[in-house]
Amino acid sequence: MCMAKKFLISMRLQMKNKTSGGERMKELAIKAKNIHKTYGNLTAVNDLSFEVPRRSCFGFLGPNGAGKTTMMKMLFGKTERDHFRGGEVSVFGYDPKKSGLEIKFFTGIVSQEDNLDQELSVFQNLMIYSKFYALPAKQARHFIKNVLAFMELSDKKDFQIRQLSGGMKRRLLIARALINNPKLLILDEPTTGLDPQVRHVIWDKLRDLKKQGVTILLTTHYMEEAFQICDDLIIMNKGGKVMQGPPAFLIDKHIETYVLELYHTGGKAFNAADGVRTEFMNSRMLLYADDFEKIKQISDQFKAGDFILRQSNLEDVFLKITGRKLHE
Amino acid sequence: MNRTHTINSAHKMADLGPVRPPSFFQRIFSVWLRHVRVYTKHLISNGFPPFVEPLMFLAGIGLGLGSYVGLIDGKPYILFLASGIIVPSAMFTATYECTFGSFIRLEFDKVYDGMISASLTVKDMFIGEILFAGTKGFFFSGAVLTVVAGFGLVESGMAVFTPFIGFITGMMFAALALFVTSFVQNINHFNFFFTGLITPMFFFSGIVFPLDNLPEFARWIAAVFPLMHAVRLVRAFFFNSFDPGLFFNLAYMIIFTFLFGSMAIKRLTRRIVN
Repeated sequence: MCMAKKFLISMRLQMKNKTSGGERMKELAIKAKNIHKTYGNLTAVNDLSFEVPRRSCFGFLGPNGAGKTTMMKMLFGKTERDHFRGGEVSVFGYDPKKSGLEIKFFTGIVSQEDNLDQELSVFQNLMIYSKFYALPAKQARHFIKNVLAFMELSDKKDFQIRQLSGGMKRRLLIARALINNPKLLILDEPTTGLDPQVRHVIWDKLRDLKKQGVTILLTTHYMEEAFQICDDLIIMNKGGKVMQGPPAFLIDKHIETYVLELYHTGGKAFNAADGVRTEFMNSRMLLYADDFEKIKQISDQFKAGDFILRQSNLEDVFLKITGRKLHE
Repeated sequence: MNRTHTINSAHKMADLGPVRPPSFFQRIFSVWLRHVRVYTKHLISNGFPPFVEPLMFLAGIGLGLGSYVGLIDGKPYILFLASGIIVPSAMFTATYECTFGSFIRLEFDKVYDGMISASLTVKDMFIGEILFAGTKGFFFSGAVLTVVAGFGLVESGMAVFTPFIGFITGMMFAALALFVTSFVQNINHFNFFFTGLITPMFFFSGIVFPLDNLPEFARWIAAVFPLMHAVRLVRAFFFNSFDPGLFFNLAYMIIFTFLFGSMAIKRLTRRIVN
């Protein structure tokens, strides 16, 4: 009977989708429109708008101070947006301005800083956290077992927080954010400062979660991270959106396919051929081109070790867009 | 209930069905439970002092100094002192908890940030904390009462109610301490609060000597200090002798707690949600 009911519901949904126009309806998890945030004279977020489809991974990429964290915090009420500037936020239909509690109930939040309870063990941290969601003890114990296994921390159950390494703490923070079986997971720089092994484990877990239907929102400095796990991406700078799109699309659209990095050119200007764009960065010279042959010919004039010839990546897009100078 | 339907989009907002966060009571209880867990984790080292301090007080000052002091209100000095020291332990524990303790949770350990990432509000967090400070006040007063009883100094069965005054005292000083914490940017600044207010309050609230012989203005200052009201209430239960003025003392404590509690929560909310 349950099966029949499910079938009927899915039939009805299909019909609904069909009747609502040609394009298949995308279900949204988050919609933000014209969001502003200022701290005194400092503009943290400036007229930002975006939509996050459900069950996708959405990234915010940008230098320090670009407004990524502030935008994240505005989604669950840790930071209030400038209400006098208008703008709207909806997280699964709830506005953080008045329904922060509801949003936090179905959201898992992993902040940039380690805010585990230092006074409690790994297990106690999760147990107390489950109480904040009023989970019955038996169910909580079951969930804790699951999230610890999922984040590969089962053998650390009785450890004190100070006994954990940075990577373990980060995994525990993610485990804690999963204790309420969230529909939305918000991660602020989830892998900053971690070794490559842990980063790959975390990326795998996030991909797993997405497959399970969790909508993921993350901020990062790492181009590779964005490239590896984000379906859609906003590059932010100085509080605003600079560009948006799937990572591969951004590379395709905004940067040449190949890069030749030259060292020790002695600062002398290099006469590049047509279709080759040049950029200087300190003592380095970067040549960009879509035509591999062209750029290969140039590289042949140099001896091995004095150049790198590679495919362009998101980092090149990022540096092109946000500039090569330090932002702090 | 609070759904926003105003956003117009080409795409539909996903519907999660009913979302029911825990009730206010459940949320407050969970915060209280967090503090109880942390406190009881080191039960021996945390539970030891409240029993030892009154022991030293009664033996050192009560028996030692008391032999030089005559009767106070027709009672030996040690009885006066024993009835006085039940409630300041609640003041001290609640004040430490919600100054140094809260500040560390706020600025160093970031415990509050972790907590409000779950389905709790800032208000839930601090109401739970004030209730926990009250609970500690109850426990500390109870510990002192136990020691006092051990000295054979309890005369009336009504004394068993004194820990409840300790509970209110704990909440009252937690509210005041959180209010102070909401201003503090540097943990060392709490020293001003302790030496400037809490310690003098201990000496001028009729605990170690009666206020009757003080000059008029000093008695007025003592009446403004919240601790004196708690001491009067405790003595009433301890000696089973009540007067209508006690209603004023109780009202003072309750109003003080609500007033400073709500100001503290308002200020701390602004500090945490920015």
